Amino acid sequence: MSAAERVEHLRQLGRLDDAERQARAALAAEPGDARLLAALAAVLLGTDRTAEGLAAADAAVAAAPRDERAHRLRALLLSRLGRHQEAVEAGYVSVALAPEEPFAATGYARVLQRAGRLNDAVRVAHHVVTLAPNSADAHFLLADVTSDAGDRRTAREAYAETLRLDPQHAAARHDLAVLDARSHRLSRALKGLVDAGTMDPSMTQVLQTVTVVLWQLSWRLRVWLAIATLVAIVVSGTEAPDRPTAAARVAAVAILLASAALTWWTTRGLPARTRPVVLAALRTDGPLRFTYLATVACIVVYAVIAVTGLGVLAAVVWLVLGMLGWLTLGVRVFRSARQRREGR
Amino acid sequence: MPDDALLTSLLAAVDAAPDDVPLRLHVAGLLADRGRIPEALLHCTQALSHDAANPEAVALLQRLTAALAAPATPDPAAEHAREPAAFDWSSAEEQVSDIAAPELARAADTDPAPTVEDIEKPTVKLADVGGMDDVKQRLELAFLGPMRNPQLARAFGKNLSGGLLLYGPPGCGKTFLARAVAGELGARFYDVGISDILDMYVGASERNLSQIFDAARRNAPCVLFLDEIDALGQKRSHLSHSSSMRNTVNQLLSEMDSLSGDNDGVFVLGATNHPWDVDSALRRPGRFDRMLLVLPPDAPARGAILRYHLRDRPVATLDVDRIVKATEHFSGADLAHVCDTAAERALAASMKAGQLRPLTTGDLEAAVREIRPSTGPWFTTARNVTAFGNADGSYDDLAAYLRKHRKL
Repeated sequence: MSAAERVEHLRQLGRLDDAERQARAALAAEPGDARLLAALAAVLLGTDRTAEGLAAADAAVAAAPRDERAHRLRALLLSRLGRHQEAVEAGYVSVALAPEEPFAATGYARVLQRAGRLNDAVRVAHHVVTLAPNSADAHFLLADVTSDAGDRRTAREAYAETLRLDPQHAAARHDLAVLDARSHRLSRALKGLVDAGTMDPSMTQVLQTVTVVLWQLSWRLRVWLAIATLVAIVVSGTEAPDRPTAAARVAAVAILLASAALTWWTTRGLPARTRPVVLAALRTDGPLRFTYLATVACIVVYAVIAVTGLGVLAAVVWLVLGMLGWLTLGVRVFRSARQRREGR
Repeated sequence: MPDDALLTSLLAAVDAAPDDVPLRLHVAGLLADRGRIPEALLHCTQALSHDAANPEAVALLQRLTAALAAPATPDPAAEHAREPAAFDWSSAEEQVSDIAAPELARAADTDPAPTVEDIEKPTVKLADVGGMDDVKQRLELAFLGPMRNPQLARAFGKNLSGGLLLYGPPGCGKTFLARAVAGELGARFYDVGISDILDMYVGASERNLSQIFDAARRNAPCVLFLDEIDALGQKRSHLSHSSSMRNTVNQLLSEMDSLSGDNDGVFVLGATNHPWDVDSALRRPGRFDRMLLVLPPDAPARGAILRYHLRDRPVATLDVDRIVKATEHFSGADLAHVCDTAAERALAASMKAGQLRPLTTGDLEAAVREIRPSTGPWFTTARNVTAFGNADGSYDDLAAYLRKHRKL
């Protein structure tokens, strides 16, 4: 077996350092070996060392201009470097050299997707599914691309097919949960994220997505409390708000019951292992934790109103909700700016 | 067989008339013709003892001694005369002695099979591990104590079979601890890296694994240390692309199972940075059913490590405690890096000044500011794992540590 195959074997096992060492040692003896150069480019792509990887892919293409894999790797590396036009050209060469090869078409679809040519990417992804109908990764590609293109229905079907073919595909489970979150099915999204995290606990992205879903849930809760507070203020305002009234008590009890029903409705399908996940997500995000604590405080205020009948206390809830609204806005602006800065 | 019948009757006649020299010489001649040289020589010498000047006896003696001294060139006539002699096995073996013995098929460029030369007997003990008292205590309670007191452990229903899995961030001394465990048990230490086992040729990895366990059994008591067990015993659901790797995991499971049989004295220690990637079957009773978290060095350990790496360097009076406080969550490897970086700063200052400027606390502090602990990404993943993958409480130690250090 050749050194290139040995490098590939190590790469597939995730031993990227060892694979690189082997590839470089073998290349010292055979500097023009196209398969070794392509294997090294694949390893460097896996370690996000795109500039070095591109040099290796360029050399592989020069050594074997008819090698589909060398062109494909070059396309993916160019795409990672943001050189989308060149990446699409290299991807096209790859597909032209091996039109029946699913890997070539997959690479081309990814390159098109990153270049923003989503319609073309969707067409190529459908072709990949035709070439490899029993491959979970082919359906995952289609799901991913159609999701980006806004075709949620096709994306959902493709994610479901991916999970049917590979029930332990954590990325598909996660992305399907993201689709649920975008469709405001927050409970389902949370359940999906817990499943995805359980499938692959080392996938750190899942906990971040959980915090996003919890922010959405907190927004929903605040909207509900805002409407309820308005009603409570109106009901209490018709009589003397600074004195205990039966109307305020009734309104507070109704709000408490409705809040409890809403909470039950949202959490009824969630597995028991959701609790540590939610707690961990709250611990990682200070403003989110504060938002939930403040929301719980609002509920406590309604419990106090139910006991005392002092409708004027609903104004406290209104103030808290207003403050939370400003806090959320501030957090969103700050985090968006940080993301832009990091993106640059 | 008329000739043999003749010879037999003649031998009987010689026995009956031992002094008959002509008869004895005749028998000796016949024996010599049949290649029975030693017997012929015996009769010849007896004939000479009766008649020392007998020319026929002397001639026969010369013939016989020449036959004895000559190389074994078979006389076709004699060979024919010997038939039907029994098959000469020793001769047959001599003829085939230059044919190589058959060997198991193996690739030309595979690494040599692991041998006992890789097995050492470490002298390091747990007392030599700086700090980390908590880890040492748990190691003593969970592993060493029962191994040292097997009868007591059995009385309490403690199973002595199975292995111990050390896990934690990279560079925190898992290998050193394993060596110390071997030292404590007075056992040999067999450090097995994945490169000793993994081989891309079909069946080679399984064979390597089997040979390693065999070697460990032969050298019992022995601590078999399987480093980077996550690569060797990956979740089989992650290995859909590699049937050979799945077979390797199965082989490892099988070898671990046989340890719980009659393979006393083989203690298997595994080490991994990613226990969550290890196949769950490997964590069942009788296999790696005990896990021990090896965390970044605590304050006393950090002090010891810093002093060790600074011992041969020109240093001014150092405030090591200050550096110890500033290096929480740094691994042993990170601390070595801090010392190297500080030494580079001192060297640069010395070259600029033209005279030796010893390494100072300031150099170390600057190095600490420059270096981020490599354990950070590991703890990020660990936080995720305690949230999603701790339903069975396997990572309670880790969760407690993360909570204590406000990382969870």
